Amino acid sequence: MISTVKKAIRPVWAARAIHKSAVDVLKQPAPEDTVTASFGKFISEIKPQHLSPVVLHRSKRMVLDNIGVGLIGSTTDVFELALQHCQNMYAPGDTSSVYGRRGIRLSPILAAFVNGVATHSMDFDDTWHPATHPSGAVLPAVLALSDMMPANNKPSGLDFLLAFNVGIEIQGRLLRFSNEAHNIPKRFHPPSVVGTMGSAAACARLLSLDPTQSSHALAIAASLAGAPMANAATQSKPLHIGNASRLGLEAALLASRGLEASPLVLDAVAGVAGFSAFYEDYVPQPLESPSNDSHMFLLEEQDIGFKRFPAHLGMHWVADAAASVHKVLVGVGPGTISPAQVEDILLRVPKSKYINRPFPESEHEARHSFQFNACTALLDGEVTVQSFTPAAIGRPDLHALLSRVRLEHPDDNPANFNRMYGEVQLTLVGGDIVKGRCDTFYGHWRNPLSKDSLRKKFRSNAEVVLPSEKVERLIEVVEDLDQLRDCRNLLSQLQ
Amino acid sequence: MTVKSANAALPPHPQRERENLCIHQRRHLPADLGITESFGAAIHALNTSQLTDGVINRSKRMMLDTLGVGLLGTRTAVFNKALKYSQLFTSRERSSVWGKSDIILPPHYAAFVNGIAVHSMDFDDTWHPATHPSGAVLPALLALAETLPSQPSGLDLLLAFNVGIEVQGRLMRFSKEAYNIPERFHPPTVVGVMGSAAASAKLLGLSPEQCSHALAIAASSAGAPLANAATQTKPLHIGNAARRGLEAARLAQIGLKGNPAILDLDSGLGVYYKDYSPSAMADSAVRAYKWILEDQDVAFKRIPAHLGMHWVVDAALAAREKLQNAVGKFDLSQIRHVTLRVPPSKYVNCPLPATEHQARHSFQFNACTALLDNEVTVASFGDAHIGRSALKELLGKVSLETPEDNLPSFDKMYCEVEIATHQGPSYKARCDTFYGHWRKPLTLKHLVEKFSVNASSVLCTEGVEGVIDVIGNIESVAECSILGSYLRMTSNQERLDRMRIL
Repeated sequence: MISTVKKAIRPVWAARAIHKSAVDVLKQPAPEDTVTASFGKFISEIKPQHLSPVVLHRSKRMVLDNIGVGLIGSTTDVFELALQHCQNMYAPGDTSSVYGRRGIRLSPILAAFVNGVATHSMDFDDTWHPATHPSGAVLPAVLALSDMMPANNKPSGLDFLLAFNVGIEIQGRLLRFSNEAHNIPKRFHPPSVVGTMGSAAACARLLSLDPTQSSHALAIAASLAGAPMANAATQSKPLHIGNASRLGLEAALLASRGLEASPLVLDAVAGVAGFSAFYEDYVPQPLESPSNDSHMFLLEEQDIGFKRFPAHLGMHWVADAAASVHKVLVGVGPGTISPAQVEDILLRVPKSKYINRPFPESEHEARHSFQFNACTALLDGEVTVQSFTPAAIGRPDLHALLSRVRLEHPDDNPANFNRMYGEVQLTLVGGDIVKGRCDTFYGHWRNPLSKDSLRKKFRSNAEVVLPSEKVERLIEVVEDLDQLRDCRNLLSQLQ
Repeated sequence: MTVKSANAALPPHPQRERENLCIHQRRHLPADLGITESFGAAIHALNTSQLTDGVINRSKRMMLDTLGVGLLGTRTAVFNKALKYSQLFTSRERSSVWGKSDIILPPHYAAFVNGIAVHSMDFDDTWHPATHPSGAVLPALLALAETLPSQPSGLDLLLAFNVGIEVQGRLMRFSKEAYNIPERFHPPTVVGVMGSAAASAKLLGLSPEQCSHALAIAASSAGAPLANAATQTKPLHIGNAARRGLEAARLAQIGLKGNPAILDLDSGLGVYYKDYSPSAMADSAVRAYKWILEDQDVAFKRIPAHLGMHWVVDAALAAREKLQNAVGKFDLSQIRHVTLRVPPSKYVNCPLPATEHQARHSFQFNACTALLDNEVTVASFGDAHIGRSALKELLGKVSLETPEDNLPSFDKMYCEVEIATHQGPSYKARCDTFYGHWRKPLTLKHLVEKFSVNASSVLCTEGVEGVIDVIGNIESVAECSILGSYLRMTSNQERLDRMRIL
């Protein structure tokens, strides 16, 4: 990965020399030569036939998972709060539907917002490499915008999927502009940086903006991007995805009305930061024009990870490792480990401050705690949606185990979702040591969820708010999304 | 998986590092009040009796200037695009749009468009360390005030405004990077949204804890890159700061929480700075609170352009005068070459601007306009003026130098203009402090004049004078809604224009 980013590229912008007289011709690149313009061109010119079968298949899985996760997310406190906010601040819109709430519609921007909040409310949505949550930033906006389009001119399922994939692709391309993006983030929460751009790109595509407008949509979105990591593991984190979705849509709408912004926002210009403001190292690359019939979408090369339980991706490694320890001690049947048996619990995990929480006090912190997820899996054999309720978080047995945990950060365990591992070493009273290790959890892109597992997750999520007939119909509609003549069949099933 | 019997002694439990503890545990340790907590406490506790005469006087000038600049800005293209966009939204709560007699918007969008108006021509105030403090705060406060069940008094408004300014000033002092002309993030987008959240939280009367959370929520809406300066999108930086700060306060009011240590952490507000060294807010319980505005005034602009342009314009005018005095009359054809000595700042170095936005961010353009017209005004940035061939010809003779002693800081920079003539002699002038800078503030007369000229483009005389009157006496105003009604008193011309459209 690193060698790809460091590959020498022809600089598209020569720094303007300070002492030049204005009479000299400036070494200004022709507009078509900039990275920014290449992105605008791509968004405008990409067509459905450029979607390969693999990309169609993978993106439909993402759409299904994301809808399910959004539906269960509509039962959370933070979603309720966001919805209340929108309904208080704004008159009822009747355009775009809200996940899981029969009869409630909002204006498109606000629907994108609350549905995005729902999607990320439990940290249950998909994760990519380099790290971000790509679908949650894009899908709510594309759904909301589709609802906004006139009844006799709704996008087809294929248009919908194309827009969605454009949103994912742009995020993937932007993440490859820096080495920093390859590791678990420390400064800006990635969805707030690339997610906003992806949403803008997807909406620009769905609105059929021309290349210049599409570039401006990206540039306007850049001024709406960026939120600090400190708000991860708090109740505000889901708003990062909600805002990415809504602000990207807003950027595209403003661009469609003629608002202009920097034509060099993605390019590297010394002394004036554009999108580069969000990264310490930044080497942008132009996107090839999809003129012939071949464009390799990144999703084809690099699949997504789906989560089996609602917590930060890193938790899945320690949970799987701890679950195997549990199985050794308890056997195949149900049962639990007693804290009295346990002398010490050692976790070998990558170094990452915001997921190292010895005693989480809220569900948000619990979803971002190696210690909590390991101990829950040790106790219960698994981590589920129910593991994060206040009752579950407050269990005395769990606390007893938590106080016996210590962390190690081996040098060979980098903070990188492609290379990390999780190891759990239990020392029992009496001296016996039981060790479990997970290199690739089930659901990771190296070991993807089967179709059955994905559907099982979807059903379990969606059935919390929708009747099972609607749930099954959603599965069918998404499965055949690329054949759908009118995406209304999808839009009408979400509440 | 291995099962081992081992009697080896276990290593002792490692001392838990303070930083590994979550925030609540840290608080139970014998420790000082967290930084974010101190800000929340201060926002909540600061009260009107702590407003000094100096601060009241300075902040009233800022409010007046901001309103005038905003009113003028409602005639710009970017404002109109944003307004059309914002009219997609409706709400039960209604807030007015400055300079429009019958347009109402949801408060967030009123804050948005009014904020855009304020910054649309880069005509609003500038502070040191660099930001445009008022535009991020006043539109949010006025929009919010209109929705409150009981109308705040003028003094309440003044207090909330000053809280918003004070918080921005405090935050900018957390890093050395903030003291120089920016390169990465446009400062209003970093501290402006925080100021708007603080001011809105103050007006809403939130608890100390809610005030802290308002700041935390706002932090996730901060930060836009500098590349969009000198484009049509720059005004949205202020519009968004105003609206999203207001939104953060409203979300905090209904219980949303963010990171309670958002200002303390490098991974919090620290992400926007390369060096970050936060400190707690001063004790707000003291009778004599030391407001930053008391020590450090703002600069008001005479020209709707980036602050740096004011130095180069004053220097160019002085050099022109020298030439004129020496030769008897000023003639463009005499000029062989023009050298500008300026601080290094890429985004205001634009030899051949093509748009009004670029023109407002161009040392070269502003210097040449001053030489050509003997003044730089609002009209200088119209397309016709930008496109003049005489101007382009003169621009072709300009070169820039960045002397080492010319630092990119609004407190330390200077500009020098040297005109070399065909006849031989050169005429040089230097400006260290332009008129309007905090070291040489505009007189009240000139400030009110600027406001009147700006406001008259949109309001009728009664409206113009009404605003001057209300702001002038704001400490005694019982209900600040009266300000809103003056801001809607448009001139006959505007009403006629609208009727024609209908």
